[in-house]
Amino acid sequence: MALSWGCLVDLAIDVHDLRKTYRTPFARKKVEALRGVTFRVERGHIFGFVGPNGAGKTTMIRVLMGLIRPTGGSAMLLGHPLGSRAARFQIGFLPESPYFYDYLTVGELCDLAGRLFGMPRAARTRRADELIDKVGLGGARGLNLKKFSKGMLQRAGLAQALMNDPELVVLDEPMSGLDPIGRKEVRDLILELRDHGKTVLFSTHILSDVEAITDRVAIIARGELQAYGTPAELVSQRLQGVDVVVRLPAAAPDGDAGLAGGASRVRRVGDELSLTLPADADVDAWIARAHAAGARVLQVAPRHETLEDLFVRRVAPPPAPPAPGDASAGEVAPP
Amino acid sequence: MIGRIWAIALNTFREAARIRVLYGILVLVLASNLIAVFVAELSHRDADRFARDIGLAGISLFGSLTAIFLGVFLLYTEVQRRTIHAIVCKPISRWEFVVGKFAGMAVVLSVLVGLFAVAMLGMLVWQRTGVSAGVAKALVLSWLEVITVAAIAIFFSSFSTPFLSGIFALGMWVIGRLTPDLEAATRAAAPWIRITTRVALEIVPDVHLFAVSGRTLDGTAVSVHGDFVPWSYVALAAGHGVGWTVALLALAALLFHRRDFA
Repeated sequence: MALSWGCLVDLAIDVHDLRKTYRTPFARKKVEALRGVTFRVERGHIFGFVGPNGAGKTTMIRVLMGLIRPTGGSAMLLGHPLGSRAARFQIGFLPESPYFYDYLTVGELCDLAGRLFGMPRAARTRRADELIDKVGLGGARGLNLKKFSKGMLQRAGLAQALMNDPELVVLDEPMSGLDPIGRKEVRDLILELRDHGKTVLFSTHILSDVEAITDRVAIIARGELQAYGTPAELVSQRLQGVDVVVRLPAAAPDGDAGLAGGASRVRRVGDELSLTLPADADVDAWIARAHAAGARVLQVAPRHETLEDLFVRRVAPPPAPPAPGDASAGEVAPP
Repeated sequence: MIGRIWAIALNTFREAARIRVLYGILVLVLASNLIAVFVAELSHRDADRFARDIGLAGISLFGSLTAIFLGVFLLYTEVQRRTIHAIVCKPISRWEFVVGKFAGMAVVLSVLVGLFAVAMLGMLVWQRTGVSAGVAKALVLSWLEVITVAAIAIFFSSFSTPFLSGIFALGMWVIGRLTPDLEAATRAAAPWIRITTRVALEIVPDVHLFAVSGRTLDGTAVSVHGDFVPWSYVALAAGHGVGWTVALLALAALLFHRRDFA
């Protein structure tokens, strides 16, 4: 991996201290959408950009795509400075909630994209046909985009983004509006792009997608990078607790049959009780207690931190200071 | 470069061809030509003269209004609907995009002016009147006027809403058309009024140059029905129109280049 500005060939994206500040037109109030974001994406990697609504994901992507000018900082795309035409020749972009010319068909949309990349007519036609089939819109060739559902528009957007066989593919919320099958297809497409040596940066809210396919993740909130690394590096490998599922005896009364003391995530469905014991709990003793109560242990599994846990931990706003006179003031929340 | 500009122009033409109002305007112009001839017949006036006047006025009025109507939405809608997001991330400069949009609109307006002209010429043929060189020159001047007005509209569209752009573009067109009258009206006015008017008129394209029939140029009355301007005048007016069009497009491109598409 290249680590210096002088050796950028291995990096697809190199973002350094990128900032964007908006000013409201009349009040001249400053809104800091990006506050010095720095990250790198290696070539051939899948990079996930996650964050809550309004975190700055889309602003970052729009800055990289030349739609918004940064207030400060710098970025290199495929070794070229931000906004350079040479970089844009090698980039494919799917905007968030894409809006296209709704009087075009998906073929015409791809053709327009191909023309802007200077592709010859035969190459445009061949590539458009291939991509339309790949994104599953073969049956909708004759329809105007006006008649497309949100998911179909998303697929059309993917097709036009890939017309130039880009080295770097930037997808802003590519799973948005897709059903589970569509989401899986997009995930597979992203993996296929990586298999062909392409670099993919995508933003999403769906953490399971990030965990499943990304090589590196950046979590952004309030315009700042909160975490950055591989999913394995980011989540704590320390044991967080032990998930246990037991079947209670038929005669057991409602509730946890006295087994949930000190546990969290307690849930009972029918005669099945699931809960999470603290990491330092004596699991053997607890199991013995469950057996004594007539319960049958169905599952015992160690619980490690997930990306979702990390996301909630890093992104959740800090708790508001207690109001004066609040009865709970000074109390410490249990860990 | 040409390929990218052409791609945007072609797409703009496709988009504009779907605007039904344009077909309404076309029908309106055809109807006004027909009515003009019938009114002239009934009133025993010079019917071919009437057809020329109404035809040319229709081209200038409806062509310019159409240019304003199309132009003020041209760039604004792209930004507002975010269709531009999937375009400007591709290897096309923003100035190429602006020029492409203008070129597409110019093609639409040229087709429209062509159809208006065919309608007028049809009326003249029906009146068994030949088409004089004066009519041909007047048609070229009208076309130049419409294209220049389109550039005015697209300039405002690069930074303003359609409503405000419409008001500004309409204002510039009307002032540009009335320049000789405004100059005459303020000739005897207080110096500050004269100076203010002069300055205001300097920053407005002289679209009156494109509608000279019935005016006096260098002490000579010119009329599309009789002695009209020479081709050298048409070339001069074209130079004026092209100059303003290039300047307005350059300004629009500059403003568009600095915009954030959030």
